Amino acid sequence: MSLPGRALRLLTLLAAGSLLVRRHAPAHAPGELPANEVAAIPLQPRFGWRFTASLGAAALGVLLLGYAVVGLLLQGTGLWGTNIPFVWGFDLINYIWWIGIANAASLFAVILVLRRHGLRTAVNRFAEAAALAAIAAAALYPILHLGRPWLFYWVLPYPATFQVWPQFRSTLVWDLWGIMAHVLVTGLFWYIGLIPDLATMRDRAVLRGRLRSARLYGLFALGWRGSVIHWARHEAAYRLVAALVLPMLVSAQTIVALEFASAVVPGWHQARLPLHVVATGVPSGLGVVLALAALLRRTLGLQQLIDDADMHLLGRLMAAASLACLVLYADEAFTAWMEETPTQRGMAARILGLYAPLWWGGLLLTALVPQALWLRSCRTGLAAPMLIGLGAAAGVWLDRFALVAGGLLHDHLPSTGPAYGPSLPEWTLLLGTAGLFAFALLLFARFVPVVSMYETRHEESEAEAP
Amino acid sequence: MTAAHGVMAEYDNREALLDALRSARAAGWQRMDAFAPFPVPEAAALLGVGGSRVAWIAIGAGLFGAALAYGVQWWLSVHVYPINIGGRPLHAWPAFLPATTIVAIVWAALATLLGMLVLNRLPRLSHPVFTAPGFLRASEDRFFLLILAEDPAFSVPAARDFLRGTGALRVTEPA
Repeated sequence: MSLPGRALRLLTLLAAGSLLVRRHAPAHAPGELPANEVAAIPLQPRFGWRFTASLGAAALGVLLLGYAVVGLLLQGTGLWGTNIPFVWGFDLINYIWWIGIANAASLFAVILVLRRHGLRTAVNRFAEAAALAAIAAAALYPILHLGRPWLFYWVLPYPATFQVWPQFRSTLVWDLWGIMAHVLVTGLFWYIGLIPDLATMRDRAVLRGRLRSARLYGLFALGWRGSVIHWARHEAAYRLVAALVLPMLVSAQTIVALEFASAVVPGWHQARLPLHVVATGVPSGLGVVLALAALLRRTLGLQQLIDDADMHLLGRLMAAASLACLVLYADEAFTAWMEETPTQRGMAARILGLYAPLWWGGLLLTALVPQALWLRSCRTGLAAPMLIGLGAAAGVWLDRFALVAGGLLHDHLPSTGPAYGPSLPEWTLLLGTAGLFAFALLLFARFVPVVSMYETRHEESEAEAP
Repeated sequence: MTAAHGVMAEYDNREALLDALRSARAAGWQRMDAFAPFPVPEAAALLGVGGSRVAWIAIGAGLFGAALAYGVQWWLSVHVYPINIGGRPLHAWPAFLPATTIVAIVWAALATLLGMLVLNRLPRLSHPVFTAPGFLRASEDRFFLLILAEDPAFSVPAARDFLRGTGALRVTEPA
């Protein structure tokens, strides 16, 4: 929202007789509350037409997702462009891509929490939310690509009539546990950090006479009353789950990469693949966090909470992550060069063959363009961080495409079948998951405090302490 | 009105709460609770509580989850549904480890949330402290010290007099 828009919103709030929210309140008389911009955001009755329009567009995306899924259920995976030998297409490409975004966003949040870094107050909450939304989008793909998705529970160990049990020596079964655990643990991490802030929202809503909102927030706040004893256990729990997220991040993507590495395809059969997939995923998630930070501080007017120093730190981190990506790309080329002839040919096909523009695009967008973030001027505005951040996310997507489809160009067979190209239903599905991601994040910005309020209070009190 | 839940004092900063808590300890009050808008580990330590029990619960649950996951995989793969794949060992322990680790993490994470809630006696729909005037600011910018009625030395006037002497902004009695 623009500056005049913000001023207008503030005026309407004041005009509505809301004495509770005051922007600059140096001292508080008893019974009067200090300003709390973060809590005020979800409690606004209206959010402006831009928000409604964005939410509408995202909702259309979710509808599109529903359409794509129903079409797939009715007709099957024949709708997709996949065929022998390209048995994996958009399903795997998009799955690894979304998981990468989720991983990097949670990795970032976890590190900030565990190191008690000052940046956590600014970006942690929505980094966690972005991770959760991305993992929801990711989790759809492996289920949908089963062919008969309604039978997905066959991978679970349950006493079936025919006494058939899952094959636990298969990476595909690991996949199930990896994804399920990722969804659960990321969700828990987000929710545990949210409980005290939901209590603040509840109390705020009560003081504003918004009893229905208060009941709803109160329900999810679980009766939190801010006892210091509860706080001690809460802090332990939050940090503990943060620590538990760490191995989770490595596992899900490593397992997917192992599925590739354990295949006999020369372009995939490499021990370095898990490292490559996990580490090149980082710029995608960080890029999304960076873009969201730039967007939220501008549209919700949170410049004081997500300040320039935060953006500088985040931007430099992103630049460093993409530098690491560059090293990995070099390592990829070097390893391929040192390998046997089939691997060399497979790699050459990826870099120079049919899907070469994708590989080079990935290199450009994830490893080279973000280097611009070393420049101060690229880190603060709105356009530069957003374009670079989302560009990096797109670049990682190109890299995944080059890996999944381009890796198969040179097999052990003399020739491979027709090349893979995504069909319209596949594009619809991708657009649909992007809609789901945006929809979840918009609802999150609407109903939940986007910045951790209690961590901010904590930080401020420590800054004031002698 | 029922008997008082306790007597509560309100402060406007962390140091004031900690000072009051220390002097309450020195004066011999035993059953107390304190409320703050953010974690105050020193206050929790003065009340004799830390977060380590949550960690033990998580570790216990994690180990149980690991044993369960490994046990199920071993039992199913070796005894219930053995499949001979090129003579490879049925008890393929390296292949069982990923699921074991992951399931252990899930158990530990769920137990962390549930353990925290159970130890805190949450969730609950209501609590007497919410009846104290101005208590809603405990989630915003105010700090509260509560001397509970269960304290052996408790009487409303005694607790009131003591808390008034600690520089409280106001002293109330949640019922």
